[in-house]
Amino acid sequence: MPGIPPLNMPTLTIDGQSVAVPGGTTIIQAADQLGITIPRYCYHPGLTVAGNCRICLVEVEKAPKLQIACYAPVAEGMVVHTDSERTLQARQEVLEFLLINHPLDCPVCDQAGECELQNYYMDHGLYDARFREQKVKKRKAVPLGPTVMLDQERCILCSRCVRFTDEISKTGEFGIFNRGDRAEVDVYPGTILDNKYSGNVVDICPVGALTDRDFRFKARVWYLSSSPSVCPGCSRGCNIDIHYVLDRPYLANGARVMRLKPRYNPEVNQWWMCDEGRYGYKAIDEARLVQPVSRRDGVTHPLTWDLSMAELVQLVQEAQARNQLSQWGVIPSPHLTNEELFLIRRVLQERLGITCDGRVPEQAGYADEFLITADKSPNRRGMQALDLAGPGDGAKPLVERALAGELRVLYVFGHDLVALYGMAMAQQVAQQVFLIYQGSNENGTSRLAHLVLPGTVYAEKDGTFTNCQGRVQRIVKAFEPLKGSRADGEILLELARRLGDPLPCAPSAEIFSAIGETVPAFRGLRYETLGPYGAPLVTEAVPT
Amino acid sequence: MAFEPVLSRRFGNAEGTWYDAYVADGGYAAAKRVLTSMTPAQVTEAVTASNLRGLGGAGFPTGKKWSFIPKDSPKPRYLVVNADEGEPGTFKDRYLLERDPHAVIEGMLIAAYAIGSHKAYVYVRGEYVEPYRRFTRAVEEARRHGWVGRQVQGAWDWDIVIHRGAGAYICGEETALLTSLEGGKGFPRLKPPFPAISGLFGCPTIVNNVETLACLPPIIQRGAEWFAGLGTARQGGTRLFSLCGHVARPGVYEAPAGVTLRQLIETHAGGIRDGRQLKAVIPGGISAKILTAQEIDVAMDFDSLLAAGTMAGSAGVIVMDETTCIVKALWTAAKFFAHESCGQCSPCREGTGWVFKILQRILRGEGHPRDLDVLLSVAGNMEGKTICVFADAAAWPVQSYISKFRGEFDHHIREGRCDLAGNPAVEHADAHH
Amino acid sequence: MPVMDFHELEPAAAEIIARYDRTSAAMMPLLSLVQEQVGYIPPQGEQWVSDRLGIPVAHVREVVSFYTMYRTKPIGRHHIQVCTNLPCVLRGAERVVADFKERLGIDVGQTTPDGRFTLSSVECLCACEIAPMCQVNDRYAGPLDRAAVDRLLEECR
Repeated sequence: MPGIPPLNMPTLTIDGQSVAVPGGTTIIQAADQLGITIPRYCYHPGLTVAGNCRICLVEVEKAPKLQIACYAPVAEGMVVHTDSERTLQARQEVLEFLLINHPLDCPVCDQAGECELQNYYMDHGLYDARFREQKVKKRKAVPLGPTVMLDQERCILCSRCVRFTDEISKTGEFGIFNRGDRAEVDVYPGTILDNKYSGNVVDICPVGALTDRDFRFKARVWYLSSSPSVCPGCSRGCNIDIHYVLDRPYLANGARVMRLKPRYNPEVNQWWMCDEGRYGYKAIDEARLVQPVSRRDGVTHPLTWDLSMAELVQLVQEAQARNQLSQWGVIPSPHLTNEELFLIRRVLQERLGITCDGRVPEQAGYADEFLITADKSPNRRGMQALDLAGPGDGAKPLVERALAGELRVLYVFGHDLVALYGMAMAQQVAQQVFLIYQGSNENGTSRLAHLVLPGTVYAEKDGTFTNCQGRVQRIVKAFEPLKGSRADGEILLELARRLGDPLPCAPSAEIFSAIGETVPAFRGLRYETLGPYGAPLVTEAVPT
Repeated sequence: MAFEPVLSRRFGNAEGTWYDAYVADGGYAAAKRVLTSMTPAQVTEAVTASNLRGLGGAGFPTGKKWSFIPKDSPKPRYLVVNADEGEPGTFKDRYLLERDPHAVIEGMLIAAYAIGSHKAYVYVRGEYVEPYRRFTRAVEEARRHGWVGRQVQGAWDWDIVIHRGAGAYICGEETALLTSLEGGKGFPRLKPPFPAISGLFGCPTIVNNVETLACLPPIIQRGAEWFAGLGTARQGGTRLFSLCGHVARPGVYEAPAGVTLRQLIETHAGGIRDGRQLKAVIPGGISAKILTAQEIDVAMDFDSLLAAGTMAGSAGVIVMDETTCIVKALWTAAKFFAHESCGQCSPCREGTGWVFKILQRILRGEGHPRDLDVLLSVAGNMEGKTICVFADAAAWPVQSYISKFRGEFDHHIREGRCDLAGNPAVEHADAHH
Repeated sequence: MPVMDFHELEPAAAEIIARYDRTSAAMMPLLSLVQEQVGYIPPQGEQWVSDRLGIPVAHVREVVSFYTMYRTKPIGRHHIQVCTNLPCVLRGAERVVADFKERLGIDVGQTTPDGRFTLSSVECLCACEIAPMCQVNDRYAGPLDRAAVDRLLEECR
């Protein structure tokens, strides 16, 4: 269009490939866009540039000295060689400097297998070591707080951790003290590193200087498999990778999940996640419900799945015959996926006419201005968008109706009534109604319920969550449900089947597409179109 | 030789020249002329025409440096005086601060006016207590007499803040100085931007050396052409040379920029002490590449010394006679560099420590034939890769001492001891690093 | 046990901070102020500077640990800092160190039991014209032949 000045978009050539990028882009960023990964330690896209490791030195034609790619801005016509003899030589020289005082800890260091010193040495080093002096000795195995362990000798002084606690958590714990090769990373003496985001410094440490105490010596990383998912700890929905091992039960007492790592999502959590989410994976493997039970007159009978489903079906059919389904209530959980909630709506609300109301007392937890939200469930927005969070202000929440003797059966998904209402009131509810509990982990309610149906955790299912921003994000099934538990959606589908009213769709992708066809907020959304960073709900235009 | 001192004319008074005496000797006349009859651009033109080069060590043309200040920046401009003299073998700034502080202040005023600065910070190294006290006294005097403060000569407002360092050689590097002044560790900065664009507090800043500033009043009073004529074609004026080591008369000697090293050693400093023989000279502070006794007919200006494979640097001339063990000398230099590396970037942090440890081992008698190749390789690997030139400066002594005195190094490694052992001037005491 | 009440330093601190166009630039003079008052910089001093400037105390510690003149422990009344850089070594600095060690009965980095002297080795003080030399507290002293070393120690009470 006339009158509009051209955008500042210089074109440069890196290793023979050309790319046009906005002015101000650095060489390392332009290379990343081309899929050319220039080695880096101190550079991190989420932090300010330090330019101190020097491993990213590259040859730039017409520049007499090598340039650090993390800082040098691109220019029109610039020609960069990331793999020329001069560049590779410099890279190897920098690597040698970084390794001369580095301790030979690989056999005992958790970073082995995901260590950038190891990786770059295998790619760019492979020289005969010639340092024959005494290495500088510093402190090793220093617990900085409950989650992070420091080894000063392994540290390459890239300062990522210092920049993280200055710029991201804004808590300022880290510093680099002294100077020269006596420089050492540490916290101020007496400081405990326990801000809400401490675990992230382990992610960004390129070497084994900062390691995770929770993961310490648990497993070698090359045994780990990875599955992308979303943290269910709050409504932020930080993207994560679940790291697990299935075929080595002697590790971590047979637990499958070893750790969680944040996954990059520029729209939600960038590169970060909070500590509570990061270390909240234990519920995947601990205190799981693995056997359906029936509880009558205080006596608990373990059941097979067949028998427990038969009991549930019998309850429904009797209530249908006596026209008593209006005296049933279902409390869906905001921890369930959109797909599971949609099945609750289909099977229980629409087909059986049961009132479904997910409103329970707000348990607003700690929130901050960064990632942590007060709502400690991952899919309340989804539950609301699917009209399962109550029909409005009028109807009394179901627990109150149960206490008032207005309900015969209360079918609770995942909530713990003891935690929400206290033991006395929960026991009262259990006395007034037939209490069905469907959930993944033991809690006060599962110990009171008359029929317990073990469900699955998020790691064991495909599905989607809707975060506090209204962004729909996929979770991918990492492994099969723990033996004895069943996917919540499958339980509902089997109920429908046994009632003679089967639903045609089964895989979560198809259920999600069905949601897209039925619910306006999800219109047009399909797994294939969600993309790597999720997609927002369709917001209705607000009538003026 | 009818040489008329310019910078050192008042050095004879060891107690310092104070305001009245300074004025009586023509002091502050240049500043008055600048403030009442010259524009800032005219001042910069004069300084450029004088061929004044930065005398802290880099030798960058001063007028050109001033011209980098952006004309249209709304931010305040700062003049920062680098009084963090730390280059081993150099003590001339100390002399200026102690003996002729008003010359520095007058130079500062001229520079501040030229670059548009209303606030000057003087960064004095922490160990310089007496110079700090004397300079503070001089600033008070200047303030009392209306040369610092508001409406100086009815033309310029400016103030001086004296900031004391706390012991770090690297703060002599201008961007490390700025980071230190701002309250941090003395970490040199990535460049560009250069201080003239974004310096102190992110504002346009000129960092000038003490001696460079002391040249300004004479340049204004007696003219750029006169000043230029004192020196060489590309370096105007005289220079304060610090002579030390094995000369008969260590001290500060002023001479034209083109004086030869031989003249400085033999004529000014009285030759080698005790009738001994010259063995080697470092012409420009400890970073400068070493010269042999056969190489001292070189002129001491920036360009001649560069052409001779070394550098003028801070004009700190360290003279070594035949009793000097060159291996020990390199060890001493390596100890210094390892101690002063800021530690920010890997080649320097690790390289300076490595070089020192190898030399320690050689001096202990545990050297190995491969050590010299490793030293030269490590030094070469440190060059051209770092945030500032400290690593290069640390590499040059390693390269030049081994290259020019290889025999001594070979001997140490082969025999496990010095062939000068037993001479009382040289002792291989344990290093305390 | 508190070393001193650092709030007593507030008037001096305010004056220092007012000199600079950015508060952070008062870091070094405030640390020097603490050291002048206490003789060294204790953790409470670091915390006071941190609070006063609004800078995390870890970064205050970074500055304290970077510069050689900041001390975190008390030293002797007379701090003898012998230069052991090249120009002084050429003129016998190592003999000077040996002399001081012998006279004081301590090693470099130590303090005499009576608290009178601390002996340190430092890099170039830029007084090479009086090499070999040392700095005793604020004062430069040199050239230090054996007699000068003795005189210097005598004068330090």
